[in-house]
Amino acid sequence: MRVVVKYTREERVKYISHLDLMRTMQRAVRRADIPIAYSQGFNPHPVMSFASALPVGVTSDGEYMDMILSESMSLPVLKERLNHALPKGITVCDAMAVDSKAPSLMSLIERADYKVTSIGIDWNKALAAYRETPEIRVEKRGKRAVSTVNLKESVYDIGVDRENQEVLHLSMKIGKKGSLKPDAVVEALLELSDQNIAGSEQRDTRGSLTAIHRIGLYYRRNGEWVTPLLEKKD
Amino acid sequence: MDKFILDQIMGQVSKPVRYMGNEYNMVEKHPKEVFIRFAFAFPDVYEVGMSHLGMKILYHLINERKDTYCERVFAPWVDMEEKMRQAGIPLFSLETKTSVSQFDLIGFTLQYELSYTNMLNMLDLAGIPLLAEQRTDEHPFVIAGGPCAYNAEPLADFVDLVALGEGEELISELLDAYGEWKDSGKSRRAFLESAARIPGIYVPGFYDVTYLEDGRVESVKPNTDVVQERVTKRIVHDMDKTYFPDRIIVPFMDIVHDRIMLELFRGCTRGCRFCQAGMIYRPVRERTPERLLEMAEKLVKSTGYEELSLSSLSSGDYSSLEDLVKQLIESFGEKRVALSLPSLRLDSFEKEYIHEMQKVRKTGLTFAPEAGTQRLRDVINKGVTQEDLFKAVSHAFESGWNSVKLYFMIGLPTETQEDLQGIADLVKEVARCYYMVDREKRQKGLKITVSTSSFVPKPFTPFQWEPQAAMKQFREKQGFLKKALRLRNVNYNWHDPESSYMEAVFARGDRRLGRVLLSAWKRGARFDGWSEHFNMDAWMKAFEENNLQPEFYAHRKREEDEVLPWDHIDVGVTKAFLWKERQMAIKGETTPDCRIDCTGCGIRRLGRGLC
Repeated sequence: MRVVVKYTREERVKYISHLDLMRTMQRAVRRADIPIAYSQGFNPHPVMSFASALPVGVTSDGEYMDMILSESMSLPVLKERLNHALPKGITVCDAMAVDSKAPSLMSLIERADYKVTSIGIDWNKALAAYRETPEIRVEKRGKRAVSTVNLKESVYDIGVDRENQEVLHLSMKIGKKGSLKPDAVVEALLELSDQNIAGSEQRDTRGSLTAIHRIGLYYRRNGEWVTPLLEKKD
Repeated sequence: MDKFILDQIMGQVSKPVRYMGNEYNMVEKHPKEVFIRFAFAFPDVYEVGMSHLGMKILYHLINERKDTYCERVFAPWVDMEEKMRQAGIPLFSLETKTSVSQFDLIGFTLQYELSYTNMLNMLDLAGIPLLAEQRTDEHPFVIAGGPCAYNAEPLADFVDLVALGEGEELISELLDAYGEWKDSGKSRRAFLESAARIPGIYVPGFYDVTYLEDGRVESVKPNTDVVQERVTKRIVHDMDKTYFPDRIIVPFMDIVHDRIMLELFRGCTRGCRFCQAGMIYRPVRERTPERLLEMAEKLVKSTGYEELSLSSLSSGDYSSLEDLVKQLIESFGEKRVALSLPSLRLDSFEKEYIHEMQKVRKTGLTFAPEAGTQRLRDVINKGVTQEDLFKAVSHAFESGWNSVKLYFMIGLPTETQEDLQGIADLVKEVARCYYMVDREKRQKGLKITVSTSSFVPKPFTPFQWEPQAAMKQFREKQGFLKKALRLRNVNYNWHDPESSYMEAVFARGDRRLGRVLLSAWKRGARFDGWSEHFNMDAWMKAFEENNLQPEFYAHRKREEDEVLPWDHIDVGVTKAFLWKERQMAIKGETTPDCRIDCTGCGIRRLGRGLC
């Protein structure tokens, strides 16, 4: 049985790395006594995979993992047991059985939406500068070399919240189509509009003066953006 | 504590998860609902401190008390320290991010001498006066415990109290005494006096030290009627009944020992003469296999850990080892819990459980012959022969292992060139054991890792009177071994002699070294146990500044009748026994394992073990 699980990562655990998260999930699955399948080979490991690595310091309402169970179980029970076994701050919201031949989450996901909240930054000014610049070259670290890419090609949509001027909405390409981190965009915006984060000499976006929150991960299905659990994007 | 600023700086440092807390099984309490707040401080980074079994036990034990909240504190790594100082963030606890100065008591566990400057640095970051005599009613009490606390003299100026020995019972008695004292309106001294009445509590301030003209200690005498001439360490008597947590914190980050540590027994009956742990943790007290199995089951369930190690001074000596391992494999093989077994005893399990063993993960193969020749192994009373070693490695190679780690010490008393050559010969022989195995049977790619540490004479051991080898000599010995071990499939690691030198100075230090510690810390010394941060220059200047010679502590041979700075501490094992062992060592005579026959070390005055 193959299951996709949606979970959150909240403020109190936002500094864990992707490796930390994977370890945490594996141990939670063991504590919850979920019949997870193990890989074959010399060093068997539980068969789990993740949609996307969430950068250190970023919170999220919608993360996804995929796991294979060696025997089927009720999804509400799975959710309840996992939530009991997870540290506070990581919460399973939902789970869905998927076809064993369905593509991996990582290859499925195309889009990630973020909410960036900042104090003392004029997002409107930053956006005006962004729109005037036809191409923004940023460095991207690959496995071997550092290349430069046009940041604008990684952004689907960007805009300031209508009600709260401190909030920037950012929608980015993710997965196969490019995987720039949201802080790269924030940094570029600050640089373009010549702004510094209040109280900080560095334009470091991991500090909480700019809190980055992932709203969700999506892919396009029948012309609509949906989450891996087929929830429509609002 | 400004959590907003804290959050901002955590966004700018390496591995911020070190300072985050909120791990699974962390204890949460409301600080307003407890009477006593206890900060358990480990003077090193999170991933080192969280690997320490004693801390896990005491953290949960203290938190069993309704009136007390025990929180954890670690040394911030240098980047975090810099940001904290810039932003005016004091040292804080992981659980509630409370400034450490707000706690009632701070307990430091001292596992190695080179963490002392970190203790000072942590007190400073907490805004607590470093010198005990400068603390007032508004400050917490600073307690030191752990193996280095047995000779806490170099720290005497900085700590209010020292806890000697095992903490399970002691800490509860201390907290009871604190609870009675708090809000009673009595002086700080009044609490120290009541604490000093608890067996195992040593208040350095209640003792005066006088020195001879040549710098040796003349006497250590109480300066108050409240205390006895000597302070005796504490032990627990029944390991089955002694507290052990059902659940332990499961860190998010990868820590040094990221697994369940199953403590089979305390103490060691081998009597290796260089080994401080083997002397100070006596007597040997075992848990029953039933209790261990129960502990393992609860911990596997409550942590989700995928690995379990048998964690005792020489786990291979556990009386019911085969029975225990059999039951552990039966219980956990299916649950995919990897089990690490004592390397020397592998052969006894392999035959029977080879099939089951392949289901669980194979862990590393390590041996510590410690010395290269039988003569020197007799001197140090390391009861392992080369035949034992060859038999064990041959068996392991036949069963599919291809890498082995060998640990030795250099600079041991009476060591000669022959003994160093012996190390190289032993390594070659281990490689030969591998090639003796059928090509089809053995796993390809032999890897032998040889590590030498520089011998540090420790207090409360038969070698406590011995000089340490000079740094120059260590370098020559390492130079010789580098050449002699330039062999195929062999990798040689060694330690910086500088840090072993400082370790030797502080291990057998007296109270005057407190001044050196303070100067070195002011000159930037911290994380001395991390080679990238060890600053010999700061240390040498600190000695100069205080007119003290490090050689006096490390390189001087002591006489039998010398008053040692730690003579007023009673660890059970007597000075007379240690001297007798020292004399036998020089003659190359061995002492049998005390499971066979009582060797009269003196521990029976405190309690009987298996000996």
